[in-house]
Amino acid sequence: MSQLLPVLVLALFVIIFGVVLLWFASLISEKGRKDPVKDETYECGLPSDTSGPTKISIKFYLTAILFILFDIEIIFMFPWALTYGEFIAAGHGLYILGAMSFFLAVFIFGLFWEVKSRALEWE
Amino acid sequence: MIWEAIGFYSLAIFLIYFAYKTISATNPVHSALYLVLTMMGLAAIFYNLGAHFIAGVQMIVYAGAVMVLFVMVLMLFDLKAEIRAFTRGMFSGLVKVMAAGVLAGLVIGSAKNSVVVVETGAPGQMQAGVDVSRQLGILLYTKYLYAFELLGVLLLVVAVGVVAVSRMKGGTHAQR
Amino acid sequence: MGTDAFEITVNFLKMVLIFLMMVQIVPLLVWVERRGSAFIQNRFGPNRVGPLGLTQLLADAVKFLTKEEFIPARGYPFLFYAAPVVAMIPAVLAFGAIPLSMPIAVEAFEMFGHQWGPYSFAFQSYEIGIGIVFVLGVSSLAAFSMLMAGYGSNNKFALYGALRASAQTISYELAMGLSIVGVILLFGTFNFLDIVNAQSGPMQFSLLGQQVTLGFLPNWGIFYQPLGAVILFAAMFAETNRLPFDLPEAESELVAGYHTEYAGFKFNMFFIGEYGHMLVASALMVTFYFGGYTLWPFLTPETAPKLVGGLAQWMGGFGFNVNTWTSVLSAFLLHGVFVLKLALFLWIFIWVRWTLPRFRYDQLMDLGWRKMLPWALFNTILTAVVILIMRNNWSA
Repeated sequence: MSQLLPVLVLALFVIIFGVVLLWFASLISEKGRKDPVKDETYECGLPSDTSGPTKISIKFYLTAILFILFDIEIIFMFPWALTYGEFIAAGHGLYILGAMSFFLAVFIFGLFWEVKSRALEWE
Repeated sequence: MIWEAIGFYSLAIFLIYFAYKTISATNPVHSALYLVLTMMGLAAIFYNLGAHFIAGVQMIVYAGAVMVLFVMVLMLFDLKAEIRAFTRGMFSGLVKVMAAGVLAGLVIGSAKNSVVVVETGAPGQMQAGVDVSRQLGILLYTKYLYAFELLGVLLLVVAVGVVAVSRMKGGTHAQR
Repeated sequence: MGTDAFEITVNFLKMVLIFLMMVQIVPLLVWVERRGSAFIQNRFGPNRVGPLGLTQLLADAVKFLTKEEFIPARGYPFLFYAAPVVAMIPAVLAFGAIPLSMPIAVEAFEMFGHQWGPYSFAFQSYEIGIGIVFVLGVSSLAAFSMLMAGYGSNNKFALYGALRASAQTISYELAMGLSIVGVILLFGTFNFLDIVNAQSGPMQFSLLGQQVTLGFLPNWGIFYQPLGAVILFAAMFAETNRLPFDLPEAESELVAGYHTEYAGFKFNMFFIGEYGHMLVASALMVTFYFGGYTLWPFLTPETAPKLVGGLAQWMGGFGFNVNTWTSVLSAFLLHGVFVLKLALFLWIFIWVRWTLPRFRYDQLMDLGWRKMLPWALFNTILTAVVILIMRNNWSA
C-alpha cells in the first residue's frame, strides 16, 4: 500500500483539479442562448447525421486485436530482458538466448505472416 | 497490517461496484468504460499484494483488450435495438438467473478453497518490485519454459485466426 | 506516503508541486511553440501582448475561461465532461514516476520541540519499483480519453478521429514497448533510479570477460542503443499525436478529430494532456539514453556535493544541518541538468512538428507495423546477442 497510495492520491488530486477548473470555467463563462440548431453536433454545417448506421472499417478491429496479441508477446519479453544478465552471470547465457529464440522465431513468423497476408495494409 | 487490510477491502469494494456496473449498464460503451475501471482496480489489488509486474501487465494488456471491445461495440452500432431487446427479455432473464447461480457457486467454492490456501501457504514476505519480477522471470524461463513456448504458438494461432475470420466474406471490406 | 507528519506533508507538497510544474509548463511550451514556428516559417509570431508576447499566455487563459459552455445536444454529457479531465491523468501519473534528480537525504533535526528524521526524499512524486512497466501501463490508458471524447460528442468526425487516434496509439505502442526491451536488456532493471545511476560514470563495459573503460565518453545508453533510441523517439511522437503523426485531428479531413466539439477550458485540458505526454516522452528519452540528471564528468551525484559545499556551509549557518543543505542544493543543481536536457528534447519535438509534413493514414500504419516493429525486433535480438557475446565468460 505504501507504494500505491501516492499514485491514487495524485490521480484523485488531478481529478479534483480538473473538476474544479471545469466548474469555475462554467461559472464565469459567457451564457449563450439555447438553440436546437446551434446545439447540433458540428458536421460542417449540414444537418447532422450521426443517428444513422456508422460504418467502421474492420481494419480497426483487426489492428486492435493484433495489438493485443503482439503486446502480450512483448510483455513476456520484459521478464526475460530483466533476468538476462543474471542468467549470463550464472553461466547460462546460451540457454536463455536459446529459450527465447524459439519464442522470437514464432513472433517473427507471426509478424511476417501478417505482412504477407496484407492484413495490415490500409488502402 | 491493518492499513493493508483497509486498502485491500476498499479497493475490493470499488472493484465489485465497477464490475456490477459493467454488466448492469445498458449502454455498451459505458459498460466498456466500467470494465476499464474494473481492470485498473484489479491492477491496484495485484500491486497491493506485491505482484507488481502482474499489475503492470494487467494495465498494459487488459486495458488494450478493452480497447478491442470498444471498437467492436462501435462497429455493432447498428445492433443497438437488438442489444436492447436482448437485455430486456424473458430469455435473457432466464440467462441472468442461471448466471447468478453459477456465480454463487463460484463464490462459495472459492471461499471454501481460499481458507485452505491461507492455512497451507504461508503468506510470504514480498520484497519490493523488481525482485519479485526477477523471480517470476527466472521461474518462467526455467520451470515453465515449455508452457511459455506453447503460449507463443497459441498467440500465433490466434493471430492467424483473426485475419482469416476478418477476410471471410468479400475480403477485408465485408458487407455486414 | 510516509511514517510521520513531516514526511507525509513533504511528500504531498512535492507531488502537488511537480503536478503544478507540469501544468505551468504548458502555456510556456505553447509560447515556445508559437514563437518557434514563427521563427521557422519566417514570421513574427505573437509579439504584441507584453514583452516578446509572453503575456499572451495570460490573455489566452482568460479567454479560455470565459468561452461559452457548449455541449452537443445529442452527446453524452458525463463522458463529454469527463474526457478532458481523464486526458490529463496518464501523463501526470507517468511523469510522477520519473526521477527528476537525486534523492535528498535529510538528517535528523529538531522542530516544534520534537525530534524528526532522518528522512530520504526521492526527487519525484513517488518511487515505483517497477518504474518502466508502470509508465507503460499508465500511458496505455491515454487512448481512452480520446475514445470517451469521440463517443461523448456523438459526432461523426469526433468518432472517426477517436478511432484513428486509438488505432495509431496502440500500433506505435508495440514499437515503443519493444525498443524499451533493449533498454531493460542493457541495464537489467525496471527501476529508473538504477538506470540513471548506471549511466553516471565514464563509459564502461565488459568485453569478452574483460572490463573496458573509455574515459572520454559518459556511460549513456545512446551509445549502446542508438537504433532503439531512434525508434522510441519516433514512437513517442505517435503517442503524443503530434505532427507528423497528428492524423487523429487531421484538419483537412476530420475538422479537428476527437476534440471537434470542445472549446474553452475543456479544449485546454486536452492540450495539457498532449504537452504532458511530450514531457513524459522527453523525460523517458533523457532517462533511458542520455544519463538522466547526471552529466559526467561535470555533474554527478558524487561531484555535485563538492561544488555546492561552500554555499551549503553558508546556508548551514541559518539552521538545519550542513549535510542536509548539501544534499538539497546538489539535488537542485542536478535537477537543473535534467531540465536542460528535457528542454532540448521538447525543442526537438517542436522543431520536428514545424518541419515535417503529415503522413497519409495508410503510410502511418505501414510505418508502425511493417517498418518500426521489425526494426525494433531486430534491435532487441541484436542487443541480446551482443550482450551475450560481450558479457559471457567464454573461457569457463
